[in-house]
Amino acid sequence: MHEYLPLMAGLEISTLPQQLVNGILLGTIYALIALGYTMVYGVLKLINFAHGEVFMLGAYATLFMSWWLGYTPQSVMQESNALNLVLMLLASMVFCALVGVIIERFAYRPIRNQPRISALITAIGLSLFIQYGGQIFLLNGVQQSVDQRVNPFQGDYSFDLRKADAALLKQAEELKPKLDSTKAAFEAQLKNEPNGRFNLSPEGERLQKEMDSARRDYDTAVNEGKAAQINVSLSKGKLIMLITTIVIMGALTYLVMFTSRGRAMRAVSHDFNASSLMGINVDKIITFTFILGSALAGAGAMMYVTFQPGTKIDPFLGLAPGIKAFTAAVLGGIGNIPGAVLGGLLMGVAENMVVWLGYDNYKNAVAFVILIIVLLFRPGGLLGSAKVEKV
Amino acid sequence: MNFWGARFGSIAGAVGLCFLIDFVARAPHNDSIVSLVARAGLFVTLAVSLNLINGITGQFSIGHAAFYMMGAYTTAVLASSYHKVANLPGPLWLLVMMIAGAISAGLAGLLVGLPSLKLRGDYLAIVTMGFGEILVIIAQNQKALGEAYGLNVAPTYKYVWLIWMLAVVTIAISRNLLKNVHGLTFLSVREDEIAAAAMGVDVTRTKVTAFVIGSALAGAAGALYAHFESFISPITFKMDTSFVILTMVVLGGTGSITGSVIAAIALFYIPEWMRDVDNVKMGMVLAIGIATIISVALIKRTIDHFHGEARARYLRIVGFVVVGIVFAAVLGPVFSNMPSLAVPVEGSKLRYVVFALTLIILMLLRPQGIFASNEFSIAWLKGLFSRKREAVVGA
Repeated sequence: MHEYLPLMAGLEISTLPQQLVNGILLGTIYALIALGYTMVYGVLKLINFAHGEVFMLGAYATLFMSWWLGYTPQSVMQESNALNLVLMLLASMVFCALVGVIIERFAYRPIRNQPRISALITAIGLSLFIQYGGQIFLLNGVQQSVDQRVNPFQGDYSFDLRKADAALLKQAEELKPKLDSTKAAFEAQLKNEPNGRFNLSPEGERLQKEMDSARRDYDTAVNEGKAAQINVSLSKGKLIMLITTIVIMGALTYLVMFTSRGRAMRAVSHDFNASSLMGINVDKIITFTFILGSALAGAGAMMYVTFQPGTKIDPFLGLAPGIKAFTAAVLGGIGNIPGAVLGGLLMGVAENMVVWLGYDNYKNAVAFVILIIVLLFRPGGLLGSAKVEKV
Repeated sequence: MNFWGARFGSIAGAVGLCFLIDFVARAPHNDSIVSLVARAGLFVTLAVSLNLINGITGQFSIGHAAFYMMGAYTTAVLASSYHKVANLPGPLWLLVMMIAGAISAGLAGLLVGLPSLKLRGDYLAIVTMGFGEILVIIAQNQKALGEAYGLNVAPTYKYVWLIWMLAVVTIAISRNLLKNVHGLTFLSVREDEIAAAAMGVDVTRTKVTAFVIGSALAGAAGALYAHFESFISPITFKMDTSFVILTMVVLGGTGSITGSVIAAIALFYIPEWMRDVDNVKMGMVLAIGIATIISVALIKRTIDHFHGEARARYLRIVGFVVVGIVFAAVLGPVFSNMPSLAVPVEGSKLRYVVFALTLIILMLLRPQGIFASNEFSIAWLKGLFSRKREAVVGA
């Protein structure tokens, strides 16, 4: 047992709340992407592997829009306003919706009546095509990131969940004069030292030892006092991200649950053939689903690259979030819209927990591990039905 | 007597062929040619073994590189500690290593296969992919496995003939499986699981068997790869490699061994050749892309909506291919002269684009693959050129 203890030694309970908050914030992005996977799966019974790449293209749309607005790395523009952010969000969503429609119309629709394996292979092919095609046409050898000046909402909100230990800090304050006086004494002695700093006389050594022990006492008191503090900080941008996501999800719920088109979508998802017999234009509904799902991925991409400073955009950006969002969709029960949101949040938290445990390098593996466990023990997902389709 | 004569004759022929390949590869005294021939053999093994899982049994695995990796890493670790102790001659040592690699990869196949084969097609695909990625991440983070750098493999044996012999053995196993009664269960699982189960086929067991055999063969290939290159790195076994192998199987025709072999060789050499291409202008790439899209769209239209005489149909398809080529030939230079599109594109970056396009176009135009489930034989060739062909195709 004891050889595992060093692994646990690095854990700091005080950083746990911050990691949880980070996890939930990241999870909202995963949830947005997962919604696209789950809705497309709902109507077509197809895992849209290219969805992560749609996300990546959304990130590029955001980047190019920010450049078009004048926030290139070379520009000297300083001020920004919320309108720029809205424009970037719209650009990303519209562009992604367009890409989604093109993918559906020219890749998935022609093979809709063929075996599902064909659709799966097409999806994989599309995903690879966009990634490596992007490497040729988009990368130009450098990874770009969105210039942070475009975001007018800089700064953090900071919350103390538990204050620093006042008694210890006060004790530290009391130790401060002693540290100062010993330090002053040592400095004074240093001036009179004949052989300089590195070859002290006995008197000098005594004063140095006194100063060191005073500093040690002071540092210990300060560190222990501060260690008791539990702080959560949240950048203003991430708060906006959270609010936007909630608004978008509310709009989606309205669209799916309370409009006729949403009802048609649910009908197609429930029974493809019967709904076409009931006079629903299935092609239109599928296109609509792709528009919705891709636009959500676009919104996620815009927030992913804008509100997380320094996120590098490259043609493989969509790979890891895509896999995690897919896992989120399966975790929540694929085809189930609330499930996708729940799964996304859980995935975000799980990923940050792995980071918190000190296994940064394994944070991309956790998605696969969760996915495999879910598929083996509850293939229907947390909120989905336990029924597994045959063949 | 005739039966045994034919059997020994074909075995001797196959072994002879392997040595012939070895001899031909070494004749120009060029190390890179030897390496190309050897790696092509490895890919033949990988493609045919994946075909056993994907094509013949109908299970959709997209993480074949994981089993290749299991074999390579297992034998690399074993070689570093036991090669000097064992003191075996080269071929014998490699045989032992192949068996070790096959066992470890086969166990991994069992580990992945046993629980997850109850899953439906696309979920199984994800699990196999996830397994592969987890292996790569583990190897990248373990000191004992060389982290991101990789491992050096102590003895280097560049036996091209042995690599091709493994390929021949893989082909023989697949082919013989299809020819006897055990193979029928595999095919029945591919065609209809429920019907197969109703006929008394143990579906899960059949799937797991296919999985274990396929992954064990990939593991043996991994062992040979490690000893041939004398250096292995986790990057070699990433998802990309799995997709390359998958493309080989799909292009060749799922279920067709001949198809897998030919597609493996073609898809191995074309990218290797493209690696050296470095002066393609971006405009040319764009023109070829547009031309491809146009001719694929036209051909797809012909296939779906043209119901005239067969000959007219073929003529149309050929015509559209020509249209595409002409289009690319005209537009290419025009685009290349535009200043913004005159940037050169590295051939190595184009490789995966070509793979991806191959997959998409194939699914649009001929989802069953080039060979479908046909095998190369004299009878098949005769059928291809006889008048009865229409009936065969129509059936």
